[in-house]
Amino acid sequence: MDYAFLKVTAGAIATFALYSILFKENSFYRFFEHVFLGLAAGYSMVAIWQDTLYENWWLKMFGQPATATATEVAGYWPYALLVPIGLMGYFVFSKKNNWMSRIPIGILLGLWSGQQITNWWRTFGPQILGSMKPIIPNDFSRFTVPAQSVRDASGALTPLPPDQLEIIQNTVYPSVAISNVVFLVTLLSAMSYFIFSYEVKGKFMTGLNTVGRWMLMMGFGAIFGNTVMARFALVIDRMAYVFIEWGQQNLLRVLGGG
Amino acid sequence: MSIAERMMNVDRRILYMILAVVVSGALFIPVNIPATPDDSSAGVYVGLSEIPQDKVLLIQSDWTLSTRGENLGHFEALLRVVMGQNRKFVLYSLADPQAPQVARDALRVLNAERKDRGLEPYILGQDYLDLGFFPNAENTAQAMGSNLRNLWANRKTKSPNGEIDIWQSPVLQGVSKIEDIGALVVVTASNTIDIAIQRLSDKVTIICMCTGVTGPTVLPYFSTGQLKGLAIGLKGVYDMELLMTYGMNDPASGENKITNPKYGVAPKLENSNTYGRGRQYYGALHGALALIILAIVLGNVAMLTAKKAEAA
Amino acid sequence: MLDSLAFLALPPNSGQLIGAVIGALVFGAVVIIALQRVPANLRRPIVVAFTFIPGLFWVLKWLVPEPINRGPNDIPNGPVDAMGFWFQDNVTVVNDIANTTAAFLLGLGIFSLLRVHLGRAVKGKKGAFYSSVLLVCLVSMATLGFINWNQRTFNDPDNRLADEANWGPVQYGFDLLFGGLFQQMEAVMFSMIAFYILSAAYRAFRIRSVEATVLMGSALILMLSLMGAVDFAISGVINEASDGDPGSFLNNFKLTVIADWVKAYLQVPSLRALDFGVGLGALAMGLRLWLGLEKGGVS
Repeated sequence: MDYAFLKVTAGAIATFALYSILFKENSFYRFFEHVFLGLAAGYSMVAIWQDTLYENWWLKMFGQPATATATEVAGYWPYALLVPIGLMGYFVFSKKNNWMSRIPIGILLGLWSGQQITNWWRTFGPQILGSMKPIIPNDFSRFTVPAQSVRDASGALTPLPPDQLEIIQNTVYPSVAISNVVFLVTLLSAMSYFIFSYEVKGKFMTGLNTVGRWMLMMGFGAIFGNTVMARFALVIDRMAYVFIEWGQQNLLRVLGGG
Repeated sequence: MSIAERMMNVDRRILYMILAVVVSGALFIPVNIPATPDDSSAGVYVGLSEIPQDKVLLIQSDWTLSTRGENLGHFEALLRVVMGQNRKFVLYSLADPQAPQVARDALRVLNAERKDRGLEPYILGQDYLDLGFFPNAENTAQAMGSNLRNLWANRKTKSPNGEIDIWQSPVLQGVSKIEDIGALVVVTASNTIDIAIQRLSDKVTIICMCTGVTGPTVLPYFSTGQLKGLAIGLKGVYDMELLMTYGMNDPASGENKITNPKYGVAPKLENSNTYGRGRQYYGALHGALALIILAIVLGNVAMLTAKKAEAA
Repeated sequence: MLDSLAFLALPPNSGQLIGAVIGALVFGAVVIIALQRVPANLRRPIVVAFTFIPGLFWVLKWLVPEPINRGPNDIPNGPVDAMGFWFQDNVTVVNDIANTTAAFLLGLGIFSLLRVHLGRAVKGKKGAFYSSVLLVCLVSMATLGFINWNQRTFNDPDNRLADEANWGPVQYGFDLLFGGLFQQMEAVMFSMIAFYILSAAYRAFRIRSVEATVLMGSALILMLSLMGAVDFAISGVINEASDGDPGSFLNNFKLTVIADWVKAYLQVPSLRALDFGVGLGALAMGLRLWLGLEKGGVS
């Protein structure tokens, strides 16, 4: 039995064990659930040290002596002050002084808060701009957007030359204008659903509110469809792991003496 | 008990079993299913192909095996394109302590694949850098935008010439600030793409490959150009594999050519495997989606039938 | 690095540096002891100050002009430029503070898990066996992980351990626990939701209202558009009817065209409206937290 087989077999057994909960609660599942939690916590300890504290804190605090290929780096002792700040977080378990755990959390929240104004504009500025779409057509010669590609000699589609494409893509045909109106109505009605600062009264506002609710459902439908794809992809991957990676590529190989 | 009532009370375990059987069966018959790559996925492939050859890429790998079914396919497709085009890259993670190790394991497999094709494997310190995990995503991304050189100052990497400062490595030659980077590619299963857009979108081209769950909330960024490309979920993986195989508007692909007037020509990928998990899983995804659509329809038919019977 | 803090730098491995670090730790311990004796009415102002000052760094950084095209050997041109240099240099320090503090807080979760399960295992309470399993796995993974890190960092200058052919028992053990068990189990845990979604869709996704019908219609269009084979079949029929003319009006009824329209003109604006709402909420919350206006927190 080689290592590759041992590794993939361990994974397959764990997969069967955890899936057994779908049938009913059992101790096989419970055992592997605790194995999972233990390994997760153990790995987090390693990762926090090797990928974060060692590089961002330890080496900065103690510096690095010169080597054959690198120059000396000085140490900055004030980094040691991060130890008491970090340890204050552990006062969350103290009945008397648990307020101190708010200090490191406050530092992180403060840093996050200070970034919000510029971040908001960088995120939503282009989106506000992108929502200003033309709703009056500038070409009534046809209703829909003309074809942007032609068939070549082999029968395959080929895009038109760039100058022609630029004209087509920047022209507002009636169908584009109608689509843009739909876009704006959707955006504004869905936003109106979040107006909580005054009472929604009158036919227009209640109607807009109702349309907004329907439009939000359109968005939630997209979220649902994509979520279904995502979750099914994970099951497909698990089945591929068990039946192909373990069964076909390893179990059959070992049973066949390969 | 009527048929409708029986249908409505079917044991959940039967449904689970049907799903397992449908997806497992489809996995054994991998076929090339014809599909049209989404505009957003095409943006990923064309965007990567348009980056000048001498520019380094930042790859922010923010996924673990919890989303292996989607993100491993994204990551493999991305590295196949990047390595197939002989580009240098810097790998790091902002989302999860496990993420760097998962990326390293995937990179090891792809390096073995290159060796099998008679190509030189990617070497740490020479072709790529591995900077590990930064737990505070918000501040790290903010600092990357403000002062990349200082942020990564004095970091060491292994290399064929022993341990060196990362700024001495060929990977970061010509880079002193984030604007010198070719593109930031975020492979993610969480909101770290929002964090990157909030802090870096006005300084560097951003490309995203994300899970289906994250995709809808990221889609508005693609429509405004804040993202150059966006591959969503398993369909995004398969789109990438098709684009690697046939290119975009590439005349060399003949009658199989993928055409999209919104983009220029991006040649197909030579010297690399193109099909992978996307092709293997896409048929099974068809089965699973057909099953849930059928389940929704049958559930509603059963409800309506039961209602009718009740009224009668 | 850290030019503006050069006066705090000391040579590595020097007695001065080690002494200064110990001094800083002792000072930190004194501060913690002192904070325990702080009167209740001063606690809130202290937490608010620790929140406000870090946030002020970023706010001030944006108010001070950023140095333009600054090279590695440039010196500031006047006091305003010097401030710009200072803020730009100390972004790294602020980032180190954030990452290190976050790392210490991540350890809190592990500490909490250990506290609960160690107590249960030692006292032989109900579930002691499972708690012992958890602890054994935790210790095994941590031990192998640290030894593996130590060997790779200090005893492998040529990066030979990147190649599986050069692995020893530690690398195999770590890889078995991490890649063979832990990562696979995580994948299983997340994939299980698919089974529940199928069951829920069958039992509860009913067209009982206009909202539910719209949601279902939107989801169905999206799911069908993800199926390339369905799109291919519909496109085939349309191409047949239009003789493959790319300018035919019939092309507008292809599944990808319909799905793209629904995505671009209905789904994207509705999701954008949601984002605007969430974004405004986050901005308001950010300001409230930074300025200490948020009630609660410190009791």
